[in-house]
Amino acid sequence: MKKIKDYLSGKFDQYEIYSAQSNSRSISFESNELKEISSKQSQGTAIRGVKKSDLTFASTSNTNPDKFINVVEELSEYPIFAPINFPGYSKKEKQVKLYSKDTYKFPNDYLIDQIKLSRDKILKLFPEALCDSGFNLIESESKLENSSDLEIITKQSYSGFYISVQVINNKDMLNIYDGYSSSLIINKDQITMITEKIIKYLKLGEKIVEPPKNGCPVVFTPSGLLQSIISPLLVSFNGSNIAKNLSKLSNKENNKIIDEKISIYDNPSIDYSPASKNYDDEGVPSDKFDLVKDGKFISGYYDLKSSKEAKKQTTGSAGRSINSQPMPTTSNIIMAKGKDKLDNIIKSIDDGILIDSLLGAGQGNELSGDFSANISLGYRIKNGKLIGRIKNTMLSGNAFDALSKINHLSLETENIFGTINLPYLCTNNVEISS
Amino acid sequence: MQKDIKNIISDSLKINGGEYKEIRIEENNSTRITYKGNSRENISINSGIGGCARVYSNGGWGFSSFNDIYESKNKMSEAINLSKLNTGKSINFEKNSAGKISIPARSIKNPKNISLNEKINILEHYKDLIVNKKNINGCDISYGDLERRVIFTDTLGNEIEQSFIHVILRISANSTDGNEMLQSGFSIGSLGDFSIVENLDKEVKECVMKAQNLINAEKIEGKESTVILDQILAGVFVHEAFGHLSEADNVYENERLKKILKLGTKFGNKDLNITDGAKIPNLRGSYDFDDEGTPSTKTPLIRDGELVGRLHSKETASKMNEKNTGNARAISYSYPPIVRMTNTIIENSNNNIRDILKDTKDGLYVKNWYGGMTQHEMFTFSSAETYKIENGEIKETLRPVKLSGNLFNTLKNIDGIANDLLINQGGGCGKGGQMPLPVSNGSPHIRINSCLVSSG
Repeated sequence: MKKIKDYLSGKFDQYEIYSAQSNSRSISFESNELKEISSKQSQGTAIRGVKKSDLTFASTSNTNPDKFINVVEELSEYPIFAPINFPGYSKKEKQVKLYSKDTYKFPNDYLIDQIKLSRDKILKLFPEALCDSGFNLIESESKLENSSDLEIITKQSYSGFYISVQVINNKDMLNIYDGYSSSLIINKDQITMITEKIIKYLKLGEKIVEPPKNGCPVVFTPSGLLQSIISPLLVSFNGSNIAKNLSKLSNKENNKIIDEKISIYDNPSIDYSPASKNYDDEGVPSDKFDLVKDGKFISGYYDLKSSKEAKKQTTGSAGRSINSQPMPTTSNIIMAKGKDKLDNIIKSIDDGILIDSLLGAGQGNELSGDFSANISLGYRIKNGKLIGRIKNTMLSGNAFDALSKINHLSLETENIFGTINLPYLCTNNVEISS
Repeated sequence: MQKDIKNIISDSLKINGGEYKEIRIEENNSTRITYKGNSRENISINSGIGGCARVYSNGGWGFSSFNDIYESKNKMSEAINLSKLNTGKSINFEKNSAGKISIPARSIKNPKNISLNEKINILEHYKDLIVNKKNINGCDISYGDLERRVIFTDTLGNEIEQSFIHVILRISANSTDGNEMLQSGFSIGSLGDFSIVENLDKEVKECVMKAQNLINAEKIEGKESTVILDQILAGVFVHEAFGHLSEADNVYENERLKKILKLGTKFGNKDLNITDGAKIPNLRGSYDFDDEGTPSTKTPLIRDGELVGRLHSKETASKMNEKNTGNARAISYSYPPIVRMTNTIIENSNNNIRDILKDTKDGLYVKNWYGGMTQHEMFTFSSAETYKIENGEIKETLRPVKLSGNLFNTLKNIDGIANDLLINQGGGCGKGGQMPLPVSNGSPHIRINSCLVSSG
């Protein structure tokens, strides 16, 4: 590493070295049985050098420094315009907890037993079901250093659990997926909660009913809300899109963009959430910030380069993997809860649908906030009750339109895969076709 | 490969334990250049080396991947130990071996011989053709080339070295009326031929025009509609609507699905013929041996509307007592091979597209793609271009649409297959976290007489 560092300090005005290594272990069950146990080890190094406003980036998992220096030398002939300054170290008073030494130590036997317990609960009620499920544990360490004397070493632990259940009846295939992640080991209670949620939806899904007509109220579960509306919405908040005028939100700070019942923020400071961080991947301290406050656009999420281009402050949102340059990345996205009880929202609907999962969302014109997808898990609400599952129905709309006027926002919120927290939301401003 | 590494590999395979063992070592070099908005966003060269050991015991697998290939022996021991945790019943794989073989990469115009400067000049020129035009607020250009050398050895006696060169390019133009953001683009790719990236001025200019035309285009209301798919989108359709369900790892341990997907079941009309095969040469999904050392094949999946075959790995073929088709593929050394498509095509029939169009009173002409997804029998895919069809003629531009269907109905709803097969190599496939795997898809124009479509 010293050889690379010496080369970089001679070649560039400023430089940065990011190196990371990780060990991961995973257990996979397929069709109810243990199928594969795997272990992965990976490492890599990425550098960025800046001379005046010219930036060079290169990465490698090869340990030969001479070969790497040759590549950097070649790339430096073709820099990218990026007038950024690598930050110095700023001490943070309160450190967010990202690591537990116990997480990666949990033995395979324990993980296998947990998966079996969850599987058996489902099979007891649905003997024909096929469960694909798994556990994934990761322990990683990254080191970021730069020519402004910054040196940050981050150790993180991760555990992820997922379960996907399939029930086939004639030519109907019902598929339900859920999971959770944390820096701590996923405990029995969390697995029980996921398993019971899946059982609830499997029971509700046994009966297939006709979908309602277009124009009806649609209730999104937190997971349905993320897949259909929040994901395309966040594309417009990406600082890189804002800086390049590819977002509807360019120069719209403090304008009302959606219903005033809605506030959304990014919070990297939640202990043991896998998306949390103390510093972003460029060494900028990360902290909570508002994206939308009472329906008004407050800020996009920025890294150094996009904030410079957009003439804003960075929000400490740089995320990277070894092989790619840092880019604006969200951490824990939270939508503030509403005032209505979920039960009361459902009860208030004469004819509508509840959407939990979509197929093919995010494969259209996301820059405008448009979405369109097949409803892979949705239920009809009739006279205030969930009466059965709907099939062969599509949902489409625009994230900004769907949120421009909402009917209800629930008091209850749910954590989606351990990093995103949203309430249930009801709107009429989406299109249903079947 | 250095001699000492070869010795490490052969020593690793000699370690006791496991019913079947394999080691895959890979070296790769890639270049990536992207433009976003009005400027160059990224240019990077990445080099990597690594490997993996995989062991079969007690009906399941142990897998261990690594960067430091001098660790191979330890990682093999680890994979053996992990595989011992399985508690199922093992099956016997076929024991064929190709022995020692080395296959060089297909190289027509090797991107390695093109200087970075020349690559940048070409892309810079396309960028200039897009930016600063009326209602255009930027471009999205993504170029990548990748050279992979993979050495596969196993306890059956295989020692197979294969190299691949991939080139891929996606170009799109972004347009806006000040409020909405729209885009039009295209993707191309090749196995070992950089020249596909050259001489695209006409296509890029068309792309700008199409993006501009989208501004005044209307959105359709969601409905069932007759749709004519161009060759590119029909290729994505066959991949999503049928290809994924023909992958035997979805079926081999699923008794109910086995009944539904029994060979001989009718899925389409008489002129529907679907084939997948890595043995179809010179395409991005082409290879001689898969990542389990099985020779590639060309597999008929549907003949005259009937299901006649499916795609297999060693394990799925043995378990279903069908022939291994050599479709076990891994995206890199970090992943175990799983059953994947290669080059998937709907075969030509004998209709003329002009006749199919003339016969369509009311419908949509959908072209080019954004993406597609499958969840068992349900699938969606999205067009990048959509036009209204009225009384047999293509009329005004509409906003792109998403199409959605169901395996059991939609294939039967194909009522017109033309004779103008084209193959698109600009796509990648994702499954089990392994993405984008090089594949190609192809089809002639097809008409589906009833398909659920909605705007977006």
